[in-house]
Amino acid sequence: MKRAVVLILAVLCIAPTIALAETLKLGFINSITGPEAPIGENLTNGVTLAIEDLKAKGIDVDLIKEDDTGKPEKSMAALEKLATRDKVVGIVGPYTSATSNADAKMAERYKVPLLIPAASKEEITRQNLQWTFRTSGTTGDYATILFDLATGLGKPKTLAILNENTDFGVSAATSAKAIAEKKGIKLVFEEAYSKGSPDYRSTLAQAKATNPDLVFMVSYVADAILLMRQSREIGLSPMAFIGAGAGFSVAQFASEKEISNGIFSSTQWTEDVPWGNSRDWYQRYEKKFGKAPTYHAACAYESMMIMGQVASTVGGDREKLRQGLKTGKWNGILGEVSFQDYDGYQNQRKAQMLVEQVQNGKHETVWPADLAAKKPIWPFPGWTK
Amino acid sequence: MRSFMHNMRGMSTLPVLLTVVAVVALFLIPNFVESTYALHIMILIFISVIMGLGWNILGGYTGQYSVGHAAYFGVGAYTTIILMQYRHIAPWYGVWAGIVVAVAIGLIIGSICFRLRGPYFVLASIAVAEIFRVTALNLKNLTNGAEGILITDIPPFKIGDVVITDFMSKVPFYYIGLVTLIIAIIVTWLLQNSKLGYYFQAIREDQDAAHSLGINLTFYKNVALSFSVVFTSLAGSIYGLYVGFIDPSTVLALDLSVQIVMICIIGGIGTIFGPVIGAVVLVPFSEALRSNMIAQAVIDSGLVNENSGFGFFLKEQLSHAHVLVYGILLVVVILYMPDGILGFIRKKLLAKRRKEAI
Amino acid sequence: MVPPSHPHGLTRFHVRECPIHDLLLIKYRGIMSVFFQSMISGILIGGVYALIGIGLTIIFGVMRIINFAHGDLLMIGMYMTYFLFALFHIDPFVSIIVTIPLMFLFGAFLQKVFINRVLGALPQNQILLTIGMGLVMSNAIMLAFTSDYKILSTTYSSASFNIFGISISSPLLISFAITIAITVALYWFLYRTDTGQAVRATAQDREAAQLMGINVKRMSIIAFGLGASLAGTAGALISPTYYIFPQVGSVFTLKAFVITVLGGMGSIVGATLGGVIIGIAESVGGVYFGSGWKDVIVFILFLLVLLFKPSGLLGTSKD
Repeated sequence: MKRAVVLILAVLCIAPTIALAETLKLGFINSITGPEAPIGENLTNGVTLAIEDLKAKGIDVDLIKEDDTGKPEKSMAALEKLATRDKVVGIVGPYTSATSNADAKMAERYKVPLLIPAASKEEITRQNLQWTFRTSGTTGDYATILFDLATGLGKPKTLAILNENTDFGVSAATSAKAIAEKKGIKLVFEEAYSKGSPDYRSTLAQAKATNPDLVFMVSYVADAILLMRQSREIGLSPMAFIGAGAGFSVAQFASEKEISNGIFSSTQWTEDVPWGNSRDWYQRYEKKFGKAPTYHAACAYESMMIMGQVASTVGGDREKLRQGLKTGKWNGILGEVSFQDYDGYQNQRKAQMLVEQVQNGKHETVWPADLAAKKPIWPFPGWTK
Repeated sequence: MRSFMHNMRGMSTLPVLLTVVAVVALFLIPNFVESTYALHIMILIFISVIMGLGWNILGGYTGQYSVGHAAYFGVGAYTTIILMQYRHIAPWYGVWAGIVVAVAIGLIIGSICFRLRGPYFVLASIAVAEIFRVTALNLKNLTNGAEGILITDIPPFKIGDVVITDFMSKVPFYYIGLVTLIIAIIVTWLLQNSKLGYYFQAIREDQDAAHSLGINLTFYKNVALSFSVVFTSLAGSIYGLYVGFIDPSTVLALDLSVQIVMICIIGGIGTIFGPVIGAVVLVPFSEALRSNMIAQAVIDSGLVNENSGFGFFLKEQLSHAHVLVYGILLVVVILYMPDGILGFIRKKLLAKRRKEAI
Repeated sequence: MVPPSHPHGLTRFHVRECPIHDLLLIKYRGIMSVFFQSMISGILIGGVYALIGIGLTIIFGVMRIINFAHGDLLMIGMYMTYFLFALFHIDPFVSIIVTIPLMFLFGAFLQKVFINRVLGALPQNQILLTIGMGLVMSNAIMLAFTSDYKILSTTYSSASFNIFGISISSPLLISFAITIAITVALYWFLYRTDTGQAVRATAQDREAAQLMGINVKRMSIIAFGLGASLAGTAGALISPTYYIFPQVGSVFTLKAFVITVLGGMGSIVGATLGGVIIGIAESVGGVYFGSGWKDVIVFILFLLVLLFKPSGLLGTSKD
């Protein structure tokens, strides 16, 4: 009898600590408001689904969300708060390249594992940082797949680049230039515009005057729509418009049928990929949130799944979490994921990229051929009157 | 037009004693307060006060309202940080370079703009600041354009071989801010009671009368501007080093210029402690809003149900309302307290004294 | 600017004849078409800018107040238009029938409650008050509708037609036409109606007008109401081709100042001219200096005017 009592008491004492060890504190930084909010929404939703799935696996996450409004200094302050005041064991986020770059340095200083879901500026994982990991592909990946498609479907000789002058835009433009040079495509026009400018007409007119075969664009949502509207107005009609994801991958862009038809956009995930249960996941997302997910949602989902699963085994030890991220391998809707050091990158996932094309108001996976759902329309079908 | 000169001269012992006690307390705070968040708020307050005091010299004392002071803030920040990141010049030298560059620019701007009066001067100051902002955006080789400059590491400050600080914690910034603030207050006090200060205030009260008395308007306006620019640029440099990231939309923005003016207007322009009060009111309030403390407090106190529509609104949205509150404050102060909080209090005290005298 | 010996119709003939000349001509036409393209875009946008400038100049003329919330009034016009379109499917150009009176009432309200109290205050305080009002407006809208960029998509939002190889944006052309119509109507009001003349009298000399029995307080209300409705209308007119977001106003406020100072504070013709000049300067400047610098060009122009001819092109020298 006495032994039973002691045993029960012992279990009762340990039980709370076991329960405590199960709820783990993770941080999530995102552009919840601000100009990138429409895409940021995808990340929030992806993370929400991940938290649900982690719970189903018995992992209870206490998620602390912070809004950085897309500004690096706010993002840095958010990371500092999460790391020092909330004492989270790991952080997923933020969204944009600018904020991710700033946070990566902060994470190194505070020694907290940071997993970046969707920012593609190359430099972020080329700085010999130990605490930053990246799920997202790089702008180099974006450019490579787009130019592979372009040279696979046709023989473009000239290129015009229109990019916004942010970290993301500049990185993508640099990557595009490098790849184009390798493929022998000549750069005939380049302009970095201030994001949020409402009038691109003169820029587009100048681009049109150089008669480019390819027009490579890098923008977030609102600019993407205006750029294409004004391109139609000006009559800029190259062999193909190739967009580096972001604004061009969003359903809102696709739904503007008159201006989006035929536009290519690089992406890291679509519902057609054979990885994990992507199609089911797509439908689940659409049902729950009322709109189709972009690749950002998938990246954020998978990042949180990975973070949650590894963090649940380390009992609040950040160094152990870091080790776990460095050495782990996972398989989900992004296919096989591991963070490797290669080609000057550290802790970077080797992303398999795809290209979507807007056909009839919807994004269709068109490249590479083994992952495509539909055939690409080439060359650009021109503007309808 | 009230003249503030008479109120500050001949200070009695009590305020001086209080000030000394306050200063000592401020110096001792980091030893007792562990919370980095509290230090963070204090540092922001210090920087805001310095910005405000800087503007005050030109706007409050000399009556030249510039709504483009972000130009000097930004120039200070950019100069210091560019020199540190790209030329590896330590910030304790870089700050001086920042001041020199900012003053030089200020003098050029002053010589162009000071012949304009009243609202036209305001407009010109805004245009100038915007020119700087767009230029910074475009001169990518110098400023890295819209991407901004991220500080990698501030070199440790050594005297001989002894490392005083490596700038990893907030404490050194606290002391730097506090010392600069005290210097700014002392300078303002000295100016206010000096011949220079009288000239400034004469220009503010009636430019033409001052001119007819032989005061060289452009010269003294430029002197005021120089003092003003020194402190504004210092504030900018300290801010840049503290936050660790600058870009044109944070340190050269019109919003910032407006904020600088607000600190003085709300506190009370043309006074020494006006900007202090303005900063002490604005900074914690905006932080409290931004970090959702107010919303949380209202919900916790039971006034509003967390799950109700209003409660949800409070939690999600109130944090973005801090600029709205700035705007409302500004409107209220201009309409009902054009002399700022300090002026308002003083008026009440005077009215009370008058009543008692009857 | 095409060489006189080669009238437009003969170009194709010429191409077959002379390859080198043809290459030069094509490049020349390329450059010229870019130039004309930017000129036309500039003029069309300039029309909208003119509307904004006219509103601001009326307010300054009658009340001597520099309205820093002017761009935010435009922003409210844009949101009004957006919701009329999104909820009731009213075409943006048609909806100005609703926007004009609503914005007038809103402006009148602002004047009566806020602006009126500072009519005698320091100009600096007046400016700060309007700045504060602008902040309240833009941030209230942000709280209510989030700062997401909204895009109004009509069927003709990207429509254009081609003249001589220059594409002209249909929605911009329509807004230009409407701007002209409104400006004409405004002139008619100010020069042919009693109330309009009273407004002009107050703008010319407030005290004299008061002595003549004009209710200057009422004139101030009308002036601000007019200014607000013009700004709101400008917002409505550009909403099919711009982004809509809470902070869109500040860019336009600054431009409005440049326009009114350029044209001369208080001069409506000046503001109209100023609007078109700024539109062209921006557009053409953007082509030749890079789109990043076009704002600097506008501001430098502004400073030059402030320094050398502060009364503007057509303004009276009264301070």
